[in-house]
Amino acid sequence: MRKRFRVVKRTDVSIGRRIFNPILFVLLALLFCGIFLAALGFNPFTVYGKMLKTICTPGGITRSIQAGLPLMFTGLAVAFGYRMNLNNIGGDGQYALGAILCVGFALYGPEMPAVPKIIVMFLCAMAGGAIAALIAAIPKALWNVSETILTMMLNYVFLYVLNYLMYGPWKELNQMVAQTRVIPEKYWLPDIGNTGVNSILIIVILMAVALYFFHKKTTKGFQMEVIRRSPRAAQYSGMSLAKNILLVLGVSGAIAGLAGFAQVTSIIHRVQADLPNNAGYTGIVIAFLAALNPLVVLIVGFLFGALQISAVAVQVTGVPSQVATMIQGSIMLFVIAGEFFIRYRIVKVKDTQTEGPPASGPPDPDIIKEPALTVEKGGEQA
Amino acid sequence: MKKRIIGICLAAVLAAAGLVGCGEAQQAAGEASAPAESGAPTTATGTANYIGEDKMAQEPAEGTDFSNLKIGEIESYVINDGGWCQATHESVVAAMNDLGIPEENLIVLESIGEDQASTEAAADELINAGCNLILGTSTGYASFLSPIAAEHPDVIFAQWGNKTDNLVGYDIRSYEGMFLAGYASELMSQAENTELGFAASMNEFSVRTAINAYALGAKYANPEATVKVASIESWYDPDKESQAAQSLIDAGIKYMGMEASSPAVPETCEANDAFVVGYHNDMSVLAPEAVIVSHTWNFAPIFKNIMIQTAEGTATPDDFYYWGGECSKLTDFAAFVPEDVVAAVTDLKAQMDAGDVDIFAGPLNDNTGNTLVSEGATMADEDIIQQNFFVENVQTTWKAGE
Repeated sequence: MRKRFRVVKRTDVSIGRRIFNPILFVLLALLFCGIFLAALGFNPFTVYGKMLKTICTPGGITRSIQAGLPLMFTGLAVAFGYRMNLNNIGGDGQYALGAILCVGFALYGPEMPAVPKIIVMFLCAMAGGAIAALIAAIPKALWNVSETILTMMLNYVFLYVLNYLMYGPWKELNQMVAQTRVIPEKYWLPDIGNTGVNSILIIVILMAVALYFFHKKTTKGFQMEVIRRSPRAAQYSGMSLAKNILLVLGVSGAIAGLAGFAQVTSIIHRVQADLPNNAGYTGIVIAFLAALNPLVVLIVGFLFGALQISAVAVQVTGVPSQVATMIQGSIMLFVIAGEFFIRYRIVKVKDTQTEGPPASGPPDPDIIKEPALTVEKGGEQA
Repeated sequence: MKKRIIGICLAAVLAAAGLVGCGEAQQAAGEASAPAESGAPTTATGTANYIGEDKMAQEPAEGTDFSNLKIGEIESYVINDGGWCQATHESVVAAMNDLGIPEENLIVLESIGEDQASTEAAADELINAGCNLILGTSTGYASFLSPIAAEHPDVIFAQWGNKTDNLVGYDIRSYEGMFLAGYASELMSQAENTELGFAASMNEFSVRTAINAYALGAKYANPEATVKVASIESWYDPDKESQAAQSLIDAGIKYMGMEASSPAVPETCEANDAFVVGYHNDMSVLAPEAVIVSHTWNFAPIFKNIMIQTAEGTATPDDFYYWGGECSKLTDFAAFVPEDVVAAVTDLKAQMDAGDVDIFAGPLNDNTGNTLVSEGATMADEDIIQQNFFVENVQTTWKAGE
């Protein structure tokens, strides 16, 4: 009788596993890089100590938040789309168009008092992101064209538009850098007290909380969940897939567009060439690691910001930038790979005579249960 | 019912936002085409304390102590990139060696993104590590380093490019070397009577400077010479760079200049029996049969001066360097270049060093027919740095910036 291993999907994942599994894999990544560092003649503890010390200063925390803010928005955007199985790879393009409209209104729009102006800038950024996403959403809704491909290809379009404006008509006068001029100071969002943290953080937190309750408490949120699990069942119960696709991708794009609002009103106060800097793609990783939970997206976004900052600090200890980047990449890869062990476990099974599935296998959670749908029908009639 | 209302509201907000956004985009685009009305321009050399090229040979005063001079270098990419970062880093090291500053006094931070968080983090680390001279070697750092420099008056920040408040500015009169390169290309091309080409990365000031100087050099050799630009539209893309070179060659061009990052252009030239002037660093190693000569960035004399002034305590944030000569250097000519061409270029360089050649002298028109410099006048340094124009013998679909 041979012993065999089998991968079994976990039926429920405890909170403890959710929290400790990533920590374990971060430690494994540090161990892996530590061997590398030691082989290169660096003391891993000095290097890691320096990383930690940099992040744990007030300045380090502020900067981690700052670096993480755009990522939080793009992470929320991706997570929202994926809640209905829509892959929004276009975060970069939506971010870019949001930033373009936002800074365009700030610099070339009519003079207005600060508060209404900032509100319109906010709407502009959302509109920019939504337009960029809807261009992909409409073919998806009407003809089922892959939104993954469309959103991704559109990134190039909007990044080229952005760079055209930055190198061309919107470039700051008499400066060599491909960027707009700074928006007037009265349109900047203020810092929270004297913490050095901008109040945009409150906006992103409010937005994450709102999204969290949207998924938990509203019918629309529930409809998204039904469509994700079984589009066919959703259609039978009278939900319009096309409308929901437009709505969800549109909102997802609008959230990504707000990353541009964050940059313009709170971080660099202007727009520069290649501003999104792959935040849309990093957002995918963040959304995935956060298990699509909007509140967790904020935490993961912050940690990604911290990771970015720490790569700078590591170089001061003499570690080459390539190795610093490797530490960053390893931590990311290990944590992503570790996700597997949150969803699945490996069990040792005794080889029985037949292959077949295990008799008492866990129920497949991907099968939607009938009661869920009847609840929804009741909800619609009410 | 409640749910319906929420749905309708969401859709309405989205639609409203969309309408506002469309209007804004049109308005913004409409206004952008008009000349920008506001935004106080900062002068490039006006208020700055311009340090003249006569300081190039300056040596430190007797007994200047360099042991406390700690230098931080912020690079946008790795220092062995074979291009820009390598050129600046080698210049820093050369200046340090010249002054006998030990290498442990240098901290290099590589691959620092040109965003606020990364730049601030890098500057913070360097200040905490005790650096008293910090070099920002890429344009994108300027706006973020400026406020940091204001908070740390005891640290000298030097920034490549335009003069920015609180930062020592430095730039190179790269047009001098490219002028000689264009002159050499046209001398070689003349025998075959073809127009010249130029593979150019982006429509940006430093690239325009390279194109214009190359074209003016060609014109200096032959008033009929024209330069056709193939645009790459990327700072680094070997495939597109190669295509740009190929398109010029297909158009019958045999001699070209370049402002591109990878060795793709020289390699494409070598495969097609065409010739090119290398840029950034010596590209002859990669395509020995194609590279006539290379234009290289040599910041060492400027860095040396900044280091001396910082150590002696005479450096101020108003200092501005804009040097040519040794800084805008050509490598040795390839062996296949005829001796009379080398002799003619050497002769022209001697005339330039003696101040007898004014590259941007009038009468000079741009390629849309506007007069840039009238007869008898010369161009101001601010306009030479900016280069918001293409000179008249440049053929390109690009339009120069505002």
